[in-house]
Amino acid sequence: MSGNYESSPSPSEVGFSLVSRRTLLAGAAAVGGAVVLAACGDDSEGSEGTSGGTETTAAGGGGDTGEVSFGSNYSDEKPKAAMQAALDATGLSVKVNTVDHNTYQEQFNTYIQQPDDVVCWFAGYRMRAFAGKGVVGDISDVWEGLGDMSDGFKNASTGLDGKQYFVPFYFYPWAIHYRRSLFEEKGYEVPTTWDDLLALCEKMKADGITPFSAANDGGWPQMGMFDMINLRTNGYDFHVSLMGGKESWTDDKVKKVFENWSTILDYYQPDVNGRTWQDAATALGNKETGMYLLGTFVTSNFDPATDPAAQEIIDDIDFFAFPEIDPAHGQDAVEAPIDGFMMAKSPKNDAGARALLGALGAAASIDAYLAVDPSSVAANSAAKTDGYSALQKKSAELVGSAKYIAQFLDRDTDPDFAAKVVGKALQDFLSDPTTIDTVLATVEEQKQTYTFE
Amino acid sequence: MSTNEVGLSRGRKLTLTALLTFIAIVWIIPMAMALLSSFRYFEADTLQNGPFSWPETLTLDNYREAWRVGEIPRHFWNTMFITIPALLLILLLSSMLAFACTRFSWKFNVFFLVLFTAGNLMPQQVIFQPLFQIFKKTPWPDFLSDTNTGYLLGTKVAVILIHVAFQTGFCTFVLSNYMKTIPKELGEAAMVDGASVWRQYWQIILPLCRPAFAALATLEFTWLYNDFFWGNVLLQQGDQKPITSSISVLNGQYASDYNLIAAASMMIALPTLAVYLALQKQFISGLTLGANKG
Repeated sequence: MSGNYESSPSPSEVGFSLVSRRTLLAGAAAVGGAVVLAACGDDSEGSEGTSGGTETTAAGGGGDTGEVSFGSNYSDEKPKAAMQAALDATGLSVKVNTVDHNTYQEQFNTYIQQPDDVVCWFAGYRMRAFAGKGVVGDISDVWEGLGDMSDGFKNASTGLDGKQYFVPFYFYPWAIHYRRSLFEEKGYEVPTTWDDLLALCEKMKADGITPFSAANDGGWPQMGMFDMINLRTNGYDFHVSLMGGKESWTDDKVKKVFENWSTILDYYQPDVNGRTWQDAATALGNKETGMYLLGTFVTSNFDPATDPAAQEIIDDIDFFAFPEIDPAHGQDAVEAPIDGFMMAKSPKNDAGARALLGALGAAASIDAYLAVDPSSVAANSAAKTDGYSALQKKSAELVGSAKYIAQFLDRDTDPDFAAKVVGKALQDFLSDPTTIDTVLATVEEQKQTYTFE
Repeated sequence: MSTNEVGLSRGRKLTLTALLTFIAIVWIIPMAMALLSSFRYFEADTLQNGPFSWPETLTLDNYREAWRVGEIPRHFWNTMFITIPALLLILLLSSMLAFACTRFSWKFNVFFLVLFTAGNLMPQQVIFQPLFQIFKKTPWPDFLSDTNTGYLLGTKVAVILIHVAFQTGFCTFVLSNYMKTIPKELGEAAMVDGASVWRQYWQIILPLCRPAFAALATLEFTWLYNDFFWGNVLLQQGDQKPITSSISVLNGQYASDYNLIAAASMMIALPTLAVYLALQKQFISGLTLGANKG
């Protein structure tokens, strides 16, 4: 798990750091357990979908769903086994087409033109782009059966036309991480407003601690900071609209984001652009820095297998939601990349596909998944949480209570625009904040070459 | 003076030998490294000691694992399902074409020859998009393919068709050059004896082209076998992909076990290596077949 990512990692790539020997063994045991779970799922849980089909095989009967084909990018052994357990738990007859995750993602454009009935994909813009082109199916009716999904998840699954095209499966959140022991030792309070945050930064600085761990190697880590400040300053709707290419980057609202950002830049570790997220995480672990805005995968930087002190650090890391900037938006949005499923535009087995999507959205299947691979957090609020670590529990609460869930900049807009234009702009801004006007003018100019579907 | 000349040529010889040895080593290193790596443990050995270290233990585990996880037999079958029919069709069609264009003089024979060989000059990827759309919209009965997509797209038949279309050009070129070397009198004599065109083709010219066929078959087999692009983009089902693109499934999501991939690569390269070693002579003559008019 020490990859240097060129873009923000997907939930399936990082998950939560539970890789101590103990949990590995538990995971192995769970594979066995999942089979039992799956067997239980056959007659009850599977029927919570929309069509109410309880058949385990293709042969007719009540909801008669038949065989559903399922395009999966869960190609590694453990996620593959976990996904199989989840599918078994739906009680439906599913034919799985596994394609390795890299190929799957790179060739999704061509694949979606001849897709399986149900396909694995990501929420947010990446889903909306395909929904907008009309190549995936409207599954609003499936959502009527997904009462356990919060509004945030529903919003993240909704296309620009207001219909749902996506069923969330699991996620990981971005938040400001800190070491609980440091905060206790120095008497710091978790800030809930921007002013609190600035005051806390001053305090840390006086104590000789760099307030913010900051990395931007690869160009993506600081996108998280931009997202959060924009979400807090201008709100979710503006953020989505800006990401969708519908707002001007030279707008005062965008400038305001960078003004706010400039006020905390003094509290950053120096030379952000060259630092890897792992190095910044190490600084947080060593208590050289006080806070770190990153995905919960920050804990994967600490490996108990090679460093005896790592487990203590992992257990000590906690996080809080990004503080409020404009009371109109409060802390209503959170950033959490979500993995899940879409339906083909005209699946061969329409009823079966809808039933499968409904069943995958139900608690039973994610429970079966987590039993095999416990390093994720379920999108479904009714999912079992007893296997969760403290950080996972908190993640579920944070995201479950959020009204809006953003997907991270490189998933919320054209990926190429994110990397080549915005990523570059943020790097330029971070190396010289005074150039922001020219930087934004350049973004606006280059934006014109993208179509944003 | 003569000693000087000998000395010079000996010096040259030495330099040449040294240079060739050096180049050979440079070429062999990646292969040898991959072979060696495929017998080593990755995390316990290669990752700790580096790929250039002496292996701690040798193992066949990577091969077992790659065979199982990579589902090598299934993907090998997929490749054969594509390669063999494509190869037969290519040789049949191109020999017919070469026969028509070289053994008879008619108005468009040169034009057709040029047309077919010119197709070789076009990069195949260029027409991927239009082809994709055509295949997507061409209905194809399920009983004529083993993948029930209802359309040509996503079937192995589509891949076979593309290979036939692209490789026929090159084979026509080579075969027509070869057929030109067969004396005209043979055809004339056959005609006098009352042999039909088909009989001339099937019983006189084809048997004489056997060396060219052997060479082409060897060459084409490795090309088709090694095809990565078409099999990868046209087949959407993971378990339908040919062996060359199936290997990517061994690429881990978090970290890749390169020794495992090396083991799979070795297994995948084996058939082409075997074909090359067994039919080396044909392989080399195949490469030079089109080079002169003989």
